[in-house]
Amino acid sequence: MLMVFLSSVRQNARTRPAVSSSCTGGKLKITRRRARHAIAAIAIAGTAALALAACTTSGTTTPSAGTGGTVSVAVVNDFTSFNSSTPQGNLDTNGQVGYLDGSYGTGFQYIDSDFKIVHDTKFGTFEKTSDSPQTVKYTLNKGLKWSDGQPITADDMVLAWAIGSGYYDSATFDPTSGDVTKGTQYFQIAASTAGLDATSFPKVSSDNLSITLTYSTPYVDWELVNPIAQPAHIVAEKAGLKSAADLTKLLKGLPKGDPSNPAAPDPTLDKAAKFVNTGYDVTAFPTDKTLTVSSGPFVVSSWTPGQSLTMTRNKYYAGGLVPKIDSIVFRFIGDASAQVTALQNGEVDVINPQASADTLTALKQAGAKVLTGDQVSYDHLDLNFGSPVFKDKTIREAFLKTIPRQQILDSIVTPVNPKAKVLDSQIFLPANPPYDATVKMNGSSAYDKVDIEGAKALLKGATPTIRILYNTANPNRVDEFQAIQASAAKAGFKIVDAGSPQWSSLLPGGDYDASLFGWISPGAGTSALPQLFSSQGGGNYNKYTGANKDALATQTTLDPKKLITLEQAIDKQTFTDAYGLPLFQLPGVFGTSTRVNGIKYMGNQTGPFWNFWEWSVKKSS
Amino acid sequence: MTTPVLADNPTMPETKAPESQGRLIFRRFLSNKLAVVSVILVLGIIIFATSAIGLGPIPGWWKYGYKDLNPQLNQGAPTLSLWPTWLGGKGFSFGEHPFGQDRIGKDYFAMTMRGIQNSFLVMIVLGVIASVVGVVVGAVAGYYRGTVDAILMRITDVFIVIPALVIGSVVGHWFGGLGALVLAIMLGFFSWMGIARLVRGEFLSLREREFVEAARVAGASDSRIIFKHILPNAIGVVIVSSTLIMASAILLETALSFLGYGIRSPDVSLGLLISSNESAFQTRPWLFWWPGAFIVALALLVNFVGDGLRDAFDPRHQRFSIRKMRESLPEPDEDQT
Amino acid sequence: MASFILRRLLVSVLILIAASFVMYMMVAYSSDPLQALLGSNSPNKLQLIADLSRRLQLDVPPPLRWAMWLGGVAKCVIPFANACDLGSTVSNAQVVDILPTALASTLQLVTIALVVAIFLGVTIGIVTALRQYSGLDNTVTFVSFFLYSLPSFLIAVLLKEFIAIDFNDFLRNPIIPWWVIVAIAVVAGAIWQSLIGGDGRRRLTVFGISGVATGVVLWLMSMTDWFLHPGLGPVVVVIIVVGIVVGTTALIGGLQNRRTLLTAGINGAIAIVAYFALQPLFNISSAGTLFILSLVTLGVGMLSGYLVGGYDRAQNVKVGAITAVATGAFILLDRIMQSWPTYLNDTTGRPIATVGSSTPGLSGDVWVSTLDTFTHLVLPTAALLLISFASYTRYSRAGMLEVLNQDYIRTARAKGMPERTVIVRHAFRNVLIPITTLVAFDVGALLGGAVITEKVFAIPGMGNLFNSGLSRGDLNPVMGYFVIIAAMAIIFNFLADLAYAGLDPRVRVR
Repeated sequence: MLMVFLSSVRQNARTRPAVSSSCTGGKLKITRRRARHAIAAIAIAGTAALALAACTTSGTTTPSAGTGGTVSVAVVNDFTSFNSSTPQGNLDTNGQVGYLDGSYGTGFQYIDSDFKIVHDTKFGTFEKTSDSPQTVKYTLNKGLKWSDGQPITADDMVLAWAIGSGYYDSATFDPTSGDVTKGTQYFQIAASTAGLDATSFPKVSSDNLSITLTYSTPYVDWELVNPIAQPAHIVAEKAGLKSAADLTKLLKGLPKGDPSNPAAPDPTLDKAAKFVNTGYDVTAFPTDKTLTVSSGPFVVSSWTPGQSLTMTRNKYYAGGLVPKIDSIVFRFIGDASAQVTALQNGEVDVINPQASADTLTALKQAGAKVLTGDQVSYDHLDLNFGSPVFKDKTIREAFLKTIPRQQILDSIVTPVNPKAKVLDSQIFLPANPPYDATVKMNGSSAYDKVDIEGAKALLKGATPTIRILYNTANPNRVDEFQAIQASAAKAGFKIVDAGSPQWSSLLPGGDYDASLFGWISPGAGTSALPQLFSSQGGGNYNKYTGANKDALATQTTLDPKKLITLEQAIDKQTFTDAYGLPLFQLPGVFGTSTRVNGIKYMGNQTGPFWNFWEWSVKKSS
Repeated sequence: MTTPVLADNPTMPETKAPESQGRLIFRRFLSNKLAVVSVILVLGIIIFATSAIGLGPIPGWWKYGYKDLNPQLNQGAPTLSLWPTWLGGKGFSFGEHPFGQDRIGKDYFAMTMRGIQNSFLVMIVLGVIASVVGVVVGAVAGYYRGTVDAILMRITDVFIVIPALVIGSVVGHWFGGLGALVLAIMLGFFSWMGIARLVRGEFLSLREREFVEAARVAGASDSRIIFKHILPNAIGVVIVSSTLIMASAILLETALSFLGYGIRSPDVSLGLLISSNESAFQTRPWLFWWPGAFIVALALLVNFVGDGLRDAFDPRHQRFSIRKMRESLPEPDEDQT
Repeated sequence: MASFILRRLLVSVLILIAASFVMYMMVAYSSDPLQALLGSNSPNKLQLIADLSRRLQLDVPPPLRWAMWLGGVAKCVIPFANACDLGSTVSNAQVVDILPTALASTLQLVTIALVVAIFLGVTIGIVTALRQYSGLDNTVTFVSFFLYSLPSFLIAVLLKEFIAIDFNDFLRNPIIPWWVIVAIAVVAGAIWQSLIGGDGRRRLTVFGISGVATGVVLWLMSMTDWFLHPGLGPVVVVIIVVGIVVGTTALIGGLQNRRTLLTAGINGAIAIVAYFALQPLFNISSAGTLFILSLVTLGVGMLSGYLVGGYDRAQNVKVGAITAVATGAFILLDRIMQSWPTYLNDTTGRPIATVGSSTPGLSGDVWVSTLDTFTHLVLPTAALLLISFASYTRYSRAGMLEVLNQDYIRTARAKGMPERTVIVRHAFRNVLIPITTLVAFDVGALLGGAVITEKVFAIPGMGNLFNSGLSRGDLNPVMGYFVIIAAMAIIFNFLADLAYAGLDPRVRVR
């Protein structure tokens, strides 16, 4: 008991530097023996009283509780940066904080749980004003303010455009070390500059509330571009400029970067870029409050690294996503089982744990509400078109006929999500509207059932050896491999275990016949298509060339109907060519305590936060 | 205590000669019921586990392998029945899946048995390698003293600075994917420091004894003196501490598996079973308790064996009792240096 | 002495450098921070990989990178320069910045666990040695073997599932069922009778009295909702103070030693007066106040012992200090308990926490925050200390038995010294000698164990830093962790050597 007390004293002493060193006892010299007792007692009492009087508090401060209540959400990773768009800051928790403070994924639009892009017209409006050349106009509503009271203007949008487009970059990179060999790279972002790199300096309206972007080549995912990120007035100040308008003026004056003939770096923009790139990275709650400045409905108000982060309402927020609750607490709990017990114990209200049937039952037993659904990541089996054994299409077909997709789904997903179905498209997820129509026409029905006899007929007695690469550290993949191994062996295939925990570094090498791994679908947008299906695509590990043209064409097709037709064509082609098979979407689980209402399932990285404005807390009795 | 024991004749024939020390120790060990029962139980568990699922290509008597996928029966509940019929139970029977099934239908009994095999493999391999390396380093350092000693002991210090679990995690992170045997060997190479220190201490004192001097005068080579003359006298320390290292090896492997740095799926270890089924604690507790019970049982039994060995080799520890001492006059004390 | 320390320091630094090389190479070759990126389908994957390689200098071969890293660490030695550079993490945080908070969490956990484990382990070990082969001894031996063989994460998970959740559930309606009361009473009775010993009749009496007393206390606690409004109250405080006074005197000086009794009595009286007088001050206390109060308490205790004097002044000072601190601790305990209802309200009736080391956004006085620390740390500390507790009991029991067999103990007994003096004065100190070496080893084991405990209880400490760093292939935080624990291991080894020299006059520090 004593130890606990002492430890807490130490901890509090840390947070209370006010206790000065003068709070110590005194010393007296005493000569006569009899007098010692009395004098000592008085001395002690006196000194102690003096010291104590100096070291007390005036009672406790009661927290001013709002009426909306607090919701605590368990997240896995700690917070590391107020800017989640940089390569090092692009982590799930940072993105979720960014979603709430308006720097990432909210603002003009957000993505709902059906992966539809929803415009927030109370914040501003944006629309495509012309097809050729493609122009998009963004208009902010009047009276929007950052959380420090400064207005949100077109200057902020110009800055976001400058960051996202890489317009001023003139750098050439060394392909091995990644070092800049020539020229300058200003802003570093995790996302690709594709799309915005085809725009010129935006046209700013005279009321400084709207900008117009002009794309020199059509850009299909224009609706995902959100020109609100970091506050321009803060970035300008950090770069040594007086105001946001000065920053816009500077940007307007600078030429587009040219890697073949790089200009000397501009020192002011460099300073601004450095601040945006690394200035938002934090290891403790910043003393510099400008880092927390937010355009969204919440502002970060405190952060204890490794433990919790609290966001409270932004009183200047005027957009449409007005929350009903007062604050959101992120609690960092890395261990999935610890999340479940924490919910049971009332320490958190919402968890997004690793989905398993046991977690599900435990949550239900504990009286929590359970929401299940599909994640945007899906597992798939790809056949390597570069391997000799799969040069022959009949072998590919025969192998795919043996894949027990339903069995895999039943053992891995169904216990968590009984409504789950085998994934039947390489392009769409069931949440995407074209999914049903696509599945009907893409030829996936040929692989609905395991067809050992059909496979045997195609093999004509051959016993090809197939080496399958997968991640042995992932139990799901191990189970999938074992199921495939057992089933394919029945048709005469010899399946060799080429799994490795270092699977991802082996993936580009191509020293395998088939690979079993997962992709994360962005849900909305098409930028992944050429990556996976064009021959130059960075994710095309199985050297597939069958849908090259269509995959590239998707990037410049603005007509949504035509785009869907293209995507369906790619999907159909992959099944015709026996490209491989999608297996299933990973199941996801949210657990919420009964005191919180309004949480809805969402499969992407935003997780439970996506509809924070609908959350409410039941008044405790 | 002063007669050296020669390793080449550990079982002396029954002659009129005084009882050999090895035999004395063995007899003392046998008198420790708990340790003897522990040895029998450990061997029993190992034989049971190995015979159940076989070893390598040799099949065992149990019908399922630890990798086989089976259809889920009764949501994977265990079918083992231990209640005798006269107590209203179903009598002793294994049923289809005595320890239940895991989430994809693998037989948990076979998996647990495989986990025991692996735990045992790690324990033996780690213990043997750590002992061999530790004995060689400690013996050489203690025998030669001087610079050799200083260098070897500083190397020992370098490795002893890092806690076992930390260095184990790093080793496991590196080699865990390569199977239980590789992991055990590599862990063994990072666990010898304690034994090396102990053996060095023994050697430092033993090398000054007369029998070593005698051997040296007789012209024995250094390696002969080390391994034939001194080591047999230090064997007690080695055996006891390697047994205790083995007990902690089981726990180390378990902890590593829990952190994800131990044996990896699709192979099975007891720690891995617990850690991958931690979320099943409340819903299907048997997935948690079976491997847990076997870990504790194995570690406990091996610890008992180690304790029994310690008592057998170093009788001072147990023979003493206050009650006895108060009742009788104290025996003459042993020489303590 | 100075040359000894200097030599030790130099050798330690060399060992640290060599060990860091081993560690660096092993981590660098075993893991690849690009792993996660390599498997991603991000459109600008190559650029992201290049960016990360550049930031972490992955193109430099590991031995060279180690040298560069060592150069950064060497800068830490420069005093006041604040030039420490331990590298940065994958997410661009300086390791130097994140280490201190992690270190504080872990130190708190490990120190408390260590101190409690030593205290309980040594006490119980000695008691069981004195009651060798009794029921208590056999039970404790078995339990410590059992704990010794229990994987620490198993303990942690069980504590969380059974203690935290179940105790919090119990608090909703804190009535102890009658059979639990009976069971606890029987166990308590059995322990007491085994402790006190004697013939069959005496044992039976002790068993009966202590069992019934325990049962009645539990029943009263259950009936009066004590678990919702705990506290000791004046009566219990007075009883405890008297108990401490008598107990300390009996243990250290013997009850027939009038001066010792007087010292303890004075401190007991002061404690009782202070209990009533200080309550208003407690209500407005801060951590600083309590710190001063504890210093004053210690001072009063020592001073009173000194002033009472007598032929054994040092012993009186010791008795005074122990009585003062122990009684003071109970007074504080009583006050902390009084804040329980407030804290219970703050945590919506579920006080024992399963994750983290503090409740976010809790604002309360020093009492509430002490409780908050307590409820968060109690389970992880328990999980951590149980294992080392087992080894301390075993070692101190064996040590005590061995010491009791020594000639000087027999001599002491032979010249008619009371058993108390023999144990406390002659045997105890010698038992501590081998324990000091054990402590040095145990610190390493505790720091290792913290990796697991912190994972299970989601505590953001050093172990967490190491574990997440290693699994991500993030080298620098792992090395930062290593530097700290290796340094701590070396320091504790050194302290153990000094303590050894202090306790054992035969050992000279050269």
